[in-house]
Amino acid sequence: MNRVQNTKLVLWLITGFAAAVGLNRFIFGLGATTNLTDSTPWGLWIGFDVMGGVALAAGGFVITAIFYIMKREEFHPLVKPAVLTAFLGYIAVIFGLMFDLGLPWNLWNIFIHWNFHSPLFEVGWCVILYTTVLMLEFSPVPLEEFSRYAKVRNFLIRYRFALVLLGIMLSTLHQSSLGSLFLIMPFKLHPLWYSNILPVQFFISAIALGLMMVAFESLTSHWLYKREPDTELIAKLGKATVWVLLTYVGIKMADIVLSDKFALITDGSRESFLFISEILISAFIPLVIFSFPKLRKRNKAQWIASFMVVFGIVFNRINVGGLTMLSATGDSYTPSWMEITISLGVVSAAALVFLFVIEHFNIWDLKPQDPEASPHTAPSFDYSSRVWLGTPDIASLTKYSLAFVISFATGMALMPEKQLHGKGIEEITVSRSSGKDTLLINGNRDDCLVEFPHKEHIARLGEDNCSKCHHLTLPGFKENSCWECHYSMYKTIDFFKHDWHASAHGANIKCDNCHINNVQREKETAKTCSECHPLYEFKNADLQSASRYFALSYTDALHQLCVSCHVVKAYELEKQNLGQCSSCHSAEVHEHISENLKWEISLPHFNSVILPKIDNEIIKTEISKDEKENINN
Amino acid sequence: MSKAILTDITKCIGCLKCVSACKEINKLEMDVPRIWQKNDGLSAENWTSIIQKPDRHYIRKQCRHCLEPACVTACPVGALHKTEEGAVIYNNDICLGCRYCMMACPYGIPRYDWDEPVPYVRKCILCYNYIKEGEEPACTKICPEGATIFGERDELLKIAHNRIKENPDKYIHKVWGEHEIGGTNVFYLSDIDLGFLTYKTHLGKEPLEETTAPAMKSVPFAFVGMGGFMLGLNWIIRRRMEMSKKQNEPGGEKDE
Repeated sequence: MNRVQNTKLVLWLITGFAAAVGLNRFIFGLGATTNLTDSTPWGLWIGFDVMGGVALAAGGFVITAIFYIMKREEFHPLVKPAVLTAFLGYIAVIFGLMFDLGLPWNLWNIFIHWNFHSPLFEVGWCVILYTTVLMLEFSPVPLEEFSRYAKVRNFLIRYRFALVLLGIMLSTLHQSSLGSLFLIMPFKLHPLWYSNILPVQFFISAIALGLMMVAFESLTSHWLYKREPDTELIAKLGKATVWVLLTYVGIKMADIVLSDKFALITDGSRESFLFISEILISAFIPLVIFSFPKLRKRNKAQWIASFMVVFGIVFNRINVGGLTMLSATGDSYTPSWMEITISLGVVSAAALVFLFVIEHFNIWDLKPQDPEASPHTAPSFDYSSRVWLGTPDIASLTKYSLAFVISFATGMALMPEKQLHGKGIEEITVSRSSGKDTLLINGNRDDCLVEFPHKEHIARLGEDNCSKCHHLTLPGFKENSCWECHYSMYKTIDFFKHDWHASAHGANIKCDNCHINNVQREKETAKTCSECHPLYEFKNADLQSASRYFALSYTDALHQLCVSCHVVKAYELEKQNLGQCSSCHSAEVHEHISENLKWEISLPHFNSVILPKIDNEIIKTEISKDEKENINN
Repeated sequence: MSKAILTDITKCIGCLKCVSACKEINKLEMDVPRIWQKNDGLSAENWTSIIQKPDRHYIRKQCRHCLEPACVTACPVGALHKTEEGAVIYNNDICLGCRYCMMACPYGIPRYDWDEPVPYVRKCILCYNYIKEGEEPACTKICPEGATIFGERDELLKIAHNRIKENPDKYIHKVWGEHEIGGTNVFYLSDIDLGFLTYKTHLGKEPLEETTAPAMKSVPFAFVGMGGFMLGLNWIIRRRMEMSKKQNEPGGEKDE
């Protein structure tokens, strides 16, 4: 039975790899592992793991409703696997959510702090309650193996109908409330998906998905263990799905037509393409397949159609969950490989548990056996690894553990350093420059290579101070970045754009054009702006005095040209307005300011500005010196 | 009782003192450009920013402190809540980190500590600790031009309407924040359209809670209704089965 073993091996490999990534997520944070941004705070993990996962687990309540409520006895073979799938699905959802939540250890707060206005509060409670209900619904199956718990089992079976009813009621709530989550985003969610009846659409599509997930899961697991599939039953499920899908598409299209959104479907935008493909995959093609009675009874057609419904409706959840908000937020988002790995890992782990339960408990009438694991087969070497893996009954276990360990280690080894930093900034790349001891480094991880005179730094800092840049005990961290010593690099914001001056696409000048060599390169020690920009001249200003000022930043330097005198004059002439910002920054700029500067002031020069922590002390001392001089004169 | 901020775009000269004052008073760290930031200057370490638009227009962006905030509605544990003073504040002890508030905010204000293993939601809290004691927020206190001022909400609204009345040609005849999605505690007076501050140029007057309220109110009915429906269905089906059994018995033929 190599089919089972190979599948398990692949699942173990994925799980191991995902475990390494998952560890990384908790150590270095969300920014290191995901491509989420401030405008796209929900990504694949919510869209697929949570929204898709809950919808995929809808099979549990749909099948129990058919079997226990509608008394369709013929569906009995599907009930146990469906409840098991639902139970594991919900466990996977909660487990996957742990990666996405920023503070998962605070999850218990949802029991104490209640916000009845929040749809998410309701979804959270329902999911937790329903998972408990599913556990109680399913536990008679494993309890069967332990005669000691016969009383508990009988008790659970006696109240099974109540449990099933409660499960259906809870499912109705949270399957629809997952849609209510997005009602609060009318401005972000694309109008083709936004609708006041989003909860209803979610509920109906969850029923269709639940039916088809049961079919898909049944067909796949029967193929895996080479058993005869329940073709007739699945054909019946297909027939039921036709009606559900018709209702779903009908409601959806009616809503779109009634709210005048039909033109959006054909406007050729990305969203219209997404919408058309979603509707085709989730509804139209499966509808066609299941409408033909002959096609409906063929296993391959069943498999394709059920997969399409499953894929299409999960796709719908991903679309609603963020993919169609990108045009409104103007952001771009593609899940990082780490996000995809964790999603796959959660699914693989759930699948492994599913296979385990199927093999060890009474889910089907006959427990499927793994022939190689039976003690009657002759012991053999594993051909792939050429290693003795133990007696046959544990050989496969050894193989799986090995797969897990190897892929876990590979995951750890392959973790890019960039991700480990988790800072959203590139790591340092060092390469030798043509000079003997000068390196070209990407010192600030801003993709801007600068010459780094290593020897000079040693000479200036002293031989003992290597640790200022090297051997910091941060994991995976190579060297301190430049701005941690040259701290004003990102502080020199306002008018003066340091990045622009240094970049090859900007002013393209070397550091020593402004910064004097052999002195730590700080704004205090840099040249004044007027040395390079002599055009910024004032008719009445004394340029000589300007050169004495330190180039704090462009704005500060320019301000000092005017402000120092303005302050004194305001004091002398007793005109308070003269010293205020608006005396220059007003609609009418004063005459004595040169044309160049007028133009410069009116330019939209800096768009978003970061941290203007101006060192007021220096300005103050300079001004007071100047005041004295002026007054003396 | 509710306090508010009025920002007059025509008066702002873009000196950024509010930004640095905010950083200082909230003890925010240095801001390093990161890939996950939006290009509006706001970040986890920058709770207010100045957006520059052509013709010397400087627009200060900050949390709007809505009267009926979408983020407060959204938060499943109530980590965000609206105080009497008007500030929307954040309790990081109970936050789950679900980021639903960031999804719900129509202005896209809340930011996240993406680089931290223990991340929190970060946004302007209207200097709640200070206004609680009758003081002013740092940004309005430091503004040299009086472009952004702090006061009672009603009074600021009067001031805003007076300014429009006095200079009808200077302003667009609208106080941003008076009615939008139920009103906000941060107003803007402007001579250019401020639609770019939101995802959609025209937000309705209805608070965003109104969008989810019907769904949330129908939750108990859906719960009981589905239970009742299922029980009823079960009763009918069982009864039908019994009837057919009885009908079949006299004939002696059984389908099963």
